[in-house]
Amino acid sequence: MILLLIFLGLLALVLIDVPIAVALGIVAVAALGITSGVEALPNVALVLFDGATKFPLIAIPLFILAGAIMNASGISGRLIAFASALFGFVRGGLAMVTIGTSLFFAEISGSAVADVAALGSILIPAMRRKGYPTAFAAAVTSSASTLAVIIPPSIPMILYAVMSGSSVIELFVAGIIPGVLGGLLMMVVAYVVSVRHNFPVEEVFELRRVGTTFKEAGWALLLPVIILGGIFGGWVTATEGAGLAVVAAIVIGGLIYRGLDGGRLRAAMTEAGAQTAIVMLLVATSALLGDYLTVAQVPQQVAQGIIGLTDDRLLILALLNVFFLVIGLFLHSAAAIILVVPIVMPLVHAVGIDPVHFGLVVTLNLGIGQQTPPVASVLVTACSIAKADIWEVSKANLPFIAVLLAMLLMVTYIPAIPMSLVNLFYR
Amino acid sequence: MLPRIRRAFERSLETITLALMASLVLVVVVGVVFRKAGTSLVWYDEVASILLAWLTYYGAALAALKRSHIGFPKLIETVSPKLRRVLTLLRDVGVIGFFALTAWAGWRVLLVLEGSYLVSLPWAPSRLTQSVIPLGAALFIAAELLKAVEISTPPASPRGGVERP
Repeated sequence: MILLLIFLGLLALVLIDVPIAVALGIVAVAALGITSGVEALPNVALVLFDGATKFPLIAIPLFILAGAIMNASGISGRLIAFASALFGFVRGGLAMVTIGTSLFFAEISGSAVADVAALGSILIPAMRRKGYPTAFAAAVTSSASTLAVIIPPSIPMILYAVMSGSSVIELFVAGIIPGVLGGLLMMVVAYVVSVRHNFPVEEVFELRRVGTTFKEAGWALLLPVIILGGIFGGWVTATEGAGLAVVAAIVIGGLIYRGLDGGRLRAAMTEAGAQTAIVMLLVATSALLGDYLTVAQVPQQVAQGIIGLTDDRLLILALLNVFFLVIGLFLHSAAAIILVVPIVMPLVHAVGIDPVHFGLVVTLNLGIGQQTPPVASVLVTACSIAKADIWEVSKANLPFIAVLLAMLLMVTYIPAIPMSLVNLFYR
Repeated sequence: MLPRIRRAFERSLETITLALMASLVLVVVVGVVFRKAGTSLVWYDEVASILLAWLTYYGAALAALKRSHIGFPKLIETVSPKLRRVLTLLRDVGVIGFFALTAWAGWRVLLVLEGSYLVSLPWAPSRLTQSVIPLGAALFIAAELLKAVEISTPPASPRGGVERP
């Protein structure tokens, strides 16, 4: 009953355009005030402060900043040129380039919104000029950007690690195979759509051009190797790796590519600061509501309720998938993870699901949520860049969402897909 | 007058956000260097976490001024102008009310924290670090009010009230 009231209150606030972060705070304060009285309200300030001071979360602003610096220094253009030389000869070449570049960019930024903003502003107008329908251009850019939350580094994975007590490095490694597989499947779908609509070929394949563009983008391509190599090799922690990413981005973008002056660096840092605040305010107010739900023993009730229905592991995974898909329609991924992961973890442990495996399931579910209105941060960003109607884009996005759903089923029911590398290197 | 106040406010918030972001990067990088050199800094974790909280709330005010927080404006855009005014007023009251309560709660906490200091930096008062909650909430309210006035004020038309095309 209380969950239903919280959900309805949240929905009403979101529908009148109260920012989701603030809406979460309002329902949490209302619930706290009603159940514990006014004297409990000063705790709100303490929880809001503590919610934003969890040390592993420091990786979030740093990965966002690394992506912003790389974008400000013109790295996106170099990655696009390289992807164009590699995939541009296929029918629907620019769509392939979009997916290919997203795969590269995902290894730097960790944020799907950063990915779609950086690549969409270049690739959506380019696709439109070549005669691709605007809705398709926005849809392919939007869905491809979701790869950023599956491929390491990933901000949702960092949040999940904090909330579930899992290893962030194991989660990052678990995302590699699903991320690459998802990218390849999206390319297949883009190819089929392109053949059906006779979208143009970009250019003939030339090994020499691949070599030239690789040389020009070489340092940028080295960046993920430095970041992920450092983290996976155990040389640095995820947070330190994020700091390393910022330094490497400044060195490569500023000193090597000479694409970064003081003004651009300042703008990138300010923008990254504001982007961080948007995510972190969600994290802090979600912690406020999460605290209330924990005190109200909602996690235990949910776990008992579901186990009362079934104790079949596969069926429970299916129920959790449906639950997260519905949550993803209405909540931003950061809020959903902070709020829902502590609620379902007792259940996950009780039926013996590996928390790292479950982390990938959650990340993919919420990645799909980024593509499904009403609350779909990545899709909305793509639509705003393309100046396209959200429902038209959603229609064009259906085949790509189908790919993400297929990925979700594979990751859920074939644990070897996310877990084989984890088992090989860390278990 | 209002655009000048807004610009000055925006620049101040941008400067604070920039400084906090730069400090956070510096602290993390210095922390890594010292750890690798075998002399870990005792204050590294605590200071970095506090910087993140400061970045969260000062940056949130900047994002509020730019109306960048994630929301769902589609419904409100489709209703009649009269209903839109009512719903927008409700929205503003909700947002400002929440941050007014947060500012009050933050102020109460500051009163309680008198004489308390950070664990790793015993000379730094906890009041200083926690001050971000009432201050950040007040700045968020100011940003919301400025934006609300800006949205409700028709843009000044150039040369004697001629509408721009």
